[in-house]
Amino acid sequence: MPPGSLKSYPRSIATLALLGLAGWFALSGWRIAAWDALLPLFEWMETTWFGVIGKTWGAVFAVAEATHLLAMALLGGAIVISDGRLLGLLLRDVPVEQVLNKTHRLFVIGLVIAIASGIFMACGVATKIYYLPVYWFKMLALTVGVLFTFAIRRPLLADGVENLNPWVVRAVAVASLTVWFTVAASGRWIGFSG
Amino acid sequence: MFNQLVYEFALWLDASQWSTLLHESYYMYSWVETTHVLSLILSLGLLFVIDLRMLGIALPQVPASVIARRLRLPMFIGFGLMIGTGLLLFYAIPVRSAQSVWFRIKVLLLLGAAANALLFHYRMQRSVASWDNATIAPRNIRAGALLSLLFWTLIVVCGRLIAYDWYDCSHGQSGFIEAFAGCIDGQTQF
Repeated sequence: MPPGSLKSYPRSIATLALLGLAGWFALSGWRIAAWDALLPLFEWMETTWFGVIGKTWGAVFAVAEATHLLAMALLGGAIVISDGRLLGLLLRDVPVEQVLNKTHRLFVIGLVIAIASGIFMACGVATKIYYLPVYWFKMLALTVGVLFTFAIRRPLLADGVENLNPWVVRAVAVASLTVWFTVAASGRWIGFSG
Repeated sequence: MFNQLVYEFALWLDASQWSTLLHESYYMYSWVETTHVLSLILSLGLLFVIDLRMLGIALPQVPASVIARRLRLPMFIGFGLMIGTGLLLFYAIPVRSAQSVWFRIKVLLLLGAAANALLFHYRMQRSVASWDNATIAPRNIRAGALLSLLFWTLIVVCGRLIAYDWYDCSHGQSGFIEAFAGCIDGQTQF
């Protein structure tokens, strides 16, 4: 492994430490204190226009749900292609940098639409999801996914995939697929809970 | 006549023990439904990228035939999962699904999407050699890609709407809705 590739690792280690800190927070007593403090925010969300529209017009809520799913498909498709390329399973005859850069744009578009439609839906059912552990699990997974993608995966791969240890590249791809699959699956499970 | 046949077929499925078991199993039904939704990542996610490539939005520097050929297998695996779990979801709640307005529109849209995909494939096979490296595909291919995006967006919307009971036969509907949903006079099972 060329020495130049090491510069990305300290940043990744710092982000992992941050994620570890988030994990400690999630398991400690501070979590309960933060949860209690967030109740007024969730009660306020239901009184906003988004909350009123989401509760009053079921059809609008359903379209927001479908938009959320379509965004998930776009985001997931971008992840499958880029991580599939990193694992050498997809588009092997296309330069890896080209695949990563072009799919990242689709990923960001999917993420923005998913978050926007997600906020709309959350406002409509805010005081319900507030009490659902699976909702908080999804939010934690989403935070990990966003941090992992923008603070670990992207900077690490920006140095050039060929300069990285192949096992690091594979680990990054598997971790990325795992975390985004977890986000999607836990999101679906919100619908079965409560 | 058609609606009577559909209703009797749905009743026959509903009478089977496995249908009831699947419907009443909280975890099994939820897993099947979750798989149905998550298979969108493989099926629609990759289809969107293929369609967006034809429109010059995604991976425009990569030859169109390479994108279409290389993503086809995982995309079909996704569609296979989606159809398999979709059939199981229908089997679990056959009468209500068969008489759902949204389900019926969804089936029509699925047929339209399939016909569009076949036409798209045929047109692409015939002409791709002459424009493979172009960043934007010819007009008829772009039209097919746009139609595909439109069909699948509407299919997902209808799929989501199936969960809502506004137009269920059990609620008593207007004549038009009853005819389209295939409600049967005097039916006792919903």
